[in-house]
Amino acid sequence: MKFNLFTYIIYVLLFGLFLAPNVMAQEVNLRDYRMRFRFKTVKQPDQSRMLEASFIATNKKDRKDRLPVYGAEITFFNLLEEEKVSLGTTKTSKEGIARIILPKDQSYLKDEEGKVTLKAVFEGTDEMDMEEREITIKDVQLSVELAEKDSVQTVQVNAHTLDSLGVEIPLKEADVIISVQGMLSRMVMDEGTIEDGIYEFKMPIDLPGDVDGNMTVFAIIEDHDDYGDVVQKKTVKWEVPNISSLENENSLWSEVAPIWMYVVLTILLVGIWANFVYTITNLLKIKKEGQQLERSP
Amino acid sequence: MDIALRKKELVKEFSPMLLKPGKWSKIWTAILLALILCGLAAFVVQVTQGQEVTGMRDNVVWGIYTINFIFFLCLSYSGAFASGVLHFFNTPWKNAVSRIVEIITVVSLIVGPIFIILCMARLDRLHYLFIYPRIQSPITWDVIAITTDLIGCLLYLYLTFIPDFAILRDNSEGLPKWRKKLYTSLAIGYRDTPSQRRRLHKITKIMSAMVIALAIVTYSVLAWIFSLTLQPGWNSTIFAPYFIVAGLYSGVGVIIIAMYLIRKYFNLDHYIRKAHFLSAGVILLITALLYGYFTFSEYFARWFSHKTHDANLLDTLFNDYFWMFIFANYIGILVPLAIVFFKKLRSIKNITFAAVIAVVGLWFNRYLIVVPTQETPYLPIQDTRPEFIHYSATWVEWALSFAGVATFVLFFMLLMRLVPIIPMSGVIDYEKKGKVRRNGLTQQQQS
Repeated sequence: MKFNLFTYIIYVLLFGLFLAPNVMAQEVNLRDYRMRFRFKTVKQPDQSRMLEASFIATNKKDRKDRLPVYGAEITFFNLLEEEKVSLGTTKTSKEGIARIILPKDQSYLKDEEGKVTLKAVFEGTDEMDMEEREITIKDVQLSVELAEKDSVQTVQVNAHTLDSLGVEIPLKEADVIISVQGMLSRMVMDEGTIEDGIYEFKMPIDLPGDVDGNMTVFAIIEDHDDYGDVVQKKTVKWEVPNISSLENENSLWSEVAPIWMYVVLTILLVGIWANFVYTITNLLKIKKEGQQLERSP
Repeated sequence: MDIALRKKELVKEFSPMLLKPGKWSKIWTAILLALILCGLAAFVVQVTQGQEVTGMRDNVVWGIYTINFIFFLCLSYSGAFASGVLHFFNTPWKNAVSRIVEIITVVSLIVGPIFIILCMARLDRLHYLFIYPRIQSPITWDVIAITTDLIGCLLYLYLTFIPDFAILRDNSEGLPKWRKKLYTSLAIGYRDTPSQRRRLHKITKIMSAMVIALAIVTYSVLAWIFSLTLQPGWNSTIFAPYFIVAGLYSGVGVIIIAMYLIRKYFNLDHYIRKAHFLSAGVILLITALLYGYFTFSEYFARWFSHKTHDANLLDTLFNDYFWMFIFANYIGILVPLAIVFFKKLRSIKNITFAAVIAVVGLWFNRYLIVVPTQETPYLPIQDTRPEFIHYSATWVEWALSFAGVATFVLFFMLLMRLVPIIPMSGVIDYEKKGKVRRNGLTQQQQS
């Protein structure tokens, strides 16, 4: 078979037509996926409490193949023995996250130790099984004190729980992370352990703050078996002001042109005009010679 | 070879071109003058009633005046470039085209800046540009560059004309008195002596290199007027070389069109031959490839980075200006490429057709660079109206644009009546070097 340019073009076009994008599409078979339903609670700096359930399907053979379950209805409950109070219902986002925020004055059902049991439930569908997770936590009061002690900038974290009579009971032991707010995320400064309700940390003095020198310090108890996640923060004017230049120093927008520009322009113009003068001088010499020729017999 | 006799022959051959305007020449001149008069009337309307009579408003402050300005400057640049190269390297076939490109260079450099003056609403403040220049402003650079370039090109054009002025002075039998006087004064006593010839050759060669450099600088400065702003579609590092390549492309196109018209009108088939069109066609092919490459790089980078304002601009180009975009960037490149690429298509008419497509495509390209960018500004203008955002040229602008083109053609025709379009001195030099074996035959008879 004789091939020419047009035959090749037709083959390429046909190949392109058959290689439509939907050829690459695949049906998702749920049997190949394992459902991961997770539930956590975070006590936030404003004393409100966030309940967050994540619902992700992970491929049994390929862990990198993760599909968030979108639009799944999750209901959150507060339990105490047989009693069950609904705290709210929401649907998972495109990232597979369902989240509700409970205000700081929310009342919870507590056992005699002051522990609160929370539950997230997905009722299931025809294709997907029911999922539920339960956590039991104790409410912790976390506070951050920022003070200068002997000219040393010190972060003091205080943590306690309250018994049924409202008496403060210092936390015996809990890991805590100290971090500061950066432009994009929090930067970890220290990791330590709260003992008898107190933890202290000496803050470096050369950290850049915001434009006013303010810095926000976070104390975080993360994924604790008894207390869940607890976050507290405080802002203080401790750091070096991070003042970015407000005006872009574009020299071409300035009142006066930079010297290099004068120099370059002068060199260029002098060079060109010198050549013009040289040309005209030579023309005058041609003219002079012509006049001499005219005068000579 | 009797040089004096040969000079006489050539003057005799070209005299009708200089002295006797034909019927069509008169008709053409009348049409061109009518167009120029229309343009003058439009200019009076614009000056008396203000810029309101144009389509330029708050958003689009640069319209087809600016496009014409860029277009004519790019003609000048490419003419200077081509002429400089022809002279500097003493190209064998320079006689056929050198004078055409020299005239294009100077005339377009005179006509082009007039358009930028038309853009100004306050002409009474024009002299402020010179009294209070801001050295750091690209506009000031442009004023300096264009003025210097114009002087350089005029000087260079004059240098190339001197030997022909001398030939016309020495063979002026039958010429009107005023012409004799004019040629005598313009020839500045040039007698073609060895020392005069050496001197003239030296300064012409230096000036030919100078005009190439001047043209590149001037056209780069023009590109910087756009690219040094932060406007989407303009703020590009490759704009200066892109302008230069695009200018060369359209310039070669105009040279081919001029060659075709002059060859046809003056029956100069024996001087402007098919070989010249083929050589010009090859240059058109190379510049078309370069121009296509730069165009693709420019738009591809904008499309790929997908910054919001660039995306808006591309959206405007592909929707509001779809056909213009297709013509400028597809047809304007691919059709000339196809015509010059395939040997079977390489006829004089086809190459000229390719040149016309290239020139029209480049004019549209300029339009697409200037107008849509201003229609998609960074900041919305408060209390703006749709007619302020979208630009369309008015009759005043079109009348002045056509008047500009007419002025260009008229100047070209007038200069052709001053000196022959084929440099006689170049023909004699060529024959003297023995590149053409003459046995008392004229070049015309040989061909």
